Amino acid sequence: MVTQYGIKYAVNLITAHFGDLVAKVCECLLRKGPLTLQAIVRSTELTSSQVKNSLLVLIQHNCVQAFILDQTGEHGDGAKQSTQYIALFDNIIQRWRFPKFLTMVSKKLDKQCAELLEGLLQHGRLSLKQMFDRAKSGQNGGDDVVQEAFVKLLNAHFIERCPASEPVLTNPTKEEEAARKRAAKSGKILEVQETLEQRVVEAAMPTEALRFLFATETEPTADGGKDKSNSSSVTPGEKRKHDALESEAECGATDEQVVLWRANFDEFIWCLRHKACIENVRARFDDGAVIVFGAMLEATRSAEKKVKTENSVPLSLSSIYEEVIKSEEGRNITFDRVRASLVQLSCPPFVKAANESYSVDFKKIIELAQNEEVESIVLKRYGRDAYRMFRLLSNSGHLLETDKVADATFVEKKETPIILYKLWKDDYLQLEKLQIGVKQIPFQLWKVNKNTLKVHVLDEMFHAAFNLSQRVAFELEQEKELSNVLQDKRVNRLRKRLLLESSQMKLDDAIMLFHDF
Amino acid sequence: MHHAISFSYRMRCYSHHSCEDCESEQQRYQRYSRIGTSSTFEEIVISKGPAVKRMNAKRKRPDTISDSVTEQERIVHEVIRSKQDMGISQQDMKREINLHSNLIAKCIKSLVSKNLIKEVKNIHSRRQKHYMSAEFEPSNEITGGAWYVEGSLDKEYINVLKEQCWRKIYGLKVATLEGIADAIKRSNVSQIELSKQQVEEIVKALVLDNEVMEVRSTGTGEFASIPVGKACYKCAGKRGYGGEPKLGALASIPCGVCPQISRCTPDGIISPITCEYYKKWLEF
Repeated sequence: MVTQYGIKYAVNLITAHFGDLVAKVCECLLRKGPLTLQAIVRSTELTSSQVKNSLLVLIQHNCVQAFILDQTGEHGDGAKQSTQYIALFDNIIQRWRFPKFLTMVSKKLDKQCAELLEGLLQHGRLSLKQMFDRAKSGQNGGDDVVQEAFVKLLNAHFIERCPASEPVLTNPTKEEEAARKRAAKSGKILEVQETLEQRVVEAAMPTEALRFLFATETEPTADGGKDKSNSSSVTPGEKRKHDALESEAECGATDEQVVLWRANFDEFIWCLRHKACIENVRARFDDGAVIVFGAMLEATRSAEKKVKTENSVPLSLSSIYEEVIKSEEGRNITFDRVRASLVQLSCPPFVKAANESYSVDFKKIIELAQNEEVESIVLKRYGRDAYRMFRLLSNSGHLLETDKVADATFVEKKETPIILYKLWKDDYLQLEKLQIGVKQIPFQLWKVNKNTLKVHVLDEMFHAAFNLSQRVAFELEQEKELSNVLQDKRVNRLRKRLLLESSQMKLDDAIMLFHDF
Repeated sequence: MHHAISFSYRMRCYSHHSCEDCESEQQRYQRYSRIGTSSTFEEIVISKGPAVKRMNAKRKRPDTISDSVTEQERIVHEVIRSKQDMGISQQDMKREINLHSNLIAKCIKSLVSKNLIKEVKNIHSRRQKHYMSAEFEPSNEITGGAWYVEGSLDKEYINVLKEQCWRKIYGLKVATLEGIADAIKRSNVSQIELSKQQVEEIVKALVLDNEVMEVRSTGTGEFASIPVGKACYKCAGKRGYGGEPKLGALASIPCGVCPQISRCTPDGIISPITCEYYKKWLEF
């Protein structure tokens, strides 16, 4: 979801990396949705050349995707095809996480893989030849070393083929159009645009078979992959494969038919999601439960179809045990201990048991983590009484009258509405009034709407992240000015910056919890 | 056996407010609760409404009002009595009776002195005086129920009970409401017998404090002795009683707790560059 401060945060990132001109074009697309080149020129009041160059930079770095909207005329007229550009908000905010991705690859794979990935992150997308050239100029090993690192990254799905340059999107159906109009009326424009962003991304993406396919001898050619070394399982005649290969023929920054590769953000987010779930388990349970939980994730990872998987595939107790004892820390864990850990993990229900099988409930884990984050804000900002009230309303899921809230939370009846009003004023609660009888004072009913609250909290997080980046920039400027000052003042400045940057890291984890997981 | 927890000794009465009345109630209470007079050890005194209320059985309703009241006093008394255990404020009485407010006040004073009516605390309007006919006990709606004393929430008592309930749950590892109530009763934490509903209210408050979590019995493992599906309670997390929940990412930075976040802009009067909260946070 794209919130107001989400846009500011994203534009701030683009400004820091690519300058004001590119940021202006990006902001225009983020605020107004997909536009043609001419529309961007009119809106930004930049020259056509400036807009084109900015778009090229943004496309190169996977922040914008071009697509063709196929608009068939109403009365059977010829189809209109116009190229439009859409900003990819999800990809833009990944830019802040590049250091996390590099650390992950260093730990899971090796230093060479991290160096190769660094090149892809710096340049947005590269062909294999460009990767070889970069390694040579940086003296980071020969072609063999680079290729080996490349294959490791590809096998781990940390890199992928670039998407099609201009996929064709068909007209929305009548149902979709009606939904869009309803959404526009209720002010949910941003949600509808997100759906379009997802459609565009999906249309541009190569098929799953092609996405991580590496042709060892020759690159695929325009006629659709007659390369003999392909071990692809792609079946001829599939429409998507046909589109993808045609797109492969069209895409690429050069005239040669070369395959471009880029970092696969989905895989990194996947890994970070699993890591966050494990940390949540670690905070609540003992080491044995953490090892069992980790083993379950490892065993079911390949069966997960998408990043935001709600439940893992079910596993039997014996399968879980086999996975547990594979790891060094799990070697000494007994079968009974595994069973006991699974019982532990069912309360709260991080693991669900059904028919002697166990599955991880990712949705529950993420939801509990999100609740904790919001409750922490309420506790710190409004105090303990407000914390209890918020938890009561959040857990009940329905409207509660003021006195009921007072009774359940052991707060004075006169103080209760004051606290509830503060929460309501800051959009943490919803209020409804119920009038019974003409002369009576209306009842006040309170509720937590988790969906709208989640969007609100996410916007506050983006606002805070934006503020932190502004402050970091300010402190850096101050450091430059104080370069000749006493050592202890410089040390102080450094400590400030470290505190700010570690807070940025931690806050970004929370943003992922609400936006990406 | 008494627990050695210090607790200020206080008597509370629901139906009386003058010291003379309290003293007689105090003597009665001591007889019921068997509180020792020794000063060599601290005792828990948890004097509470329910026992005091039981002691104060409803007096018999007089069939006729005393002949010593005037006609206006009789009218005022009838209005007050018609409100039974809800009582009525002086302000509301003025709306119902067509008498001058000074006269109403005079009648009330007289009726109080004759013990025909009494002043009670109403938690919904503590500043206004509230009156009730002498034969009624104030309802929970105006007293606030078992957790209120003289119109105010008895937070000290509630906090003591909460901690004790938590300790029982901690000791039992997994506990039902009945189990917690039994444990409280056996350890004589409260000299007053807590009803199951009262225990439930306290335990649910612990859930809201995130000290305890409510779970459903699976009938196996640690739930083996509890019927499947029954609600039970466990201590939440690894921290002890009263520990702070884990601090979230947003809550750990100034923006997360700032009441002015909605007004903060890069170039505004309130901005991350000029922010006082940031300045204090970054001071080493």
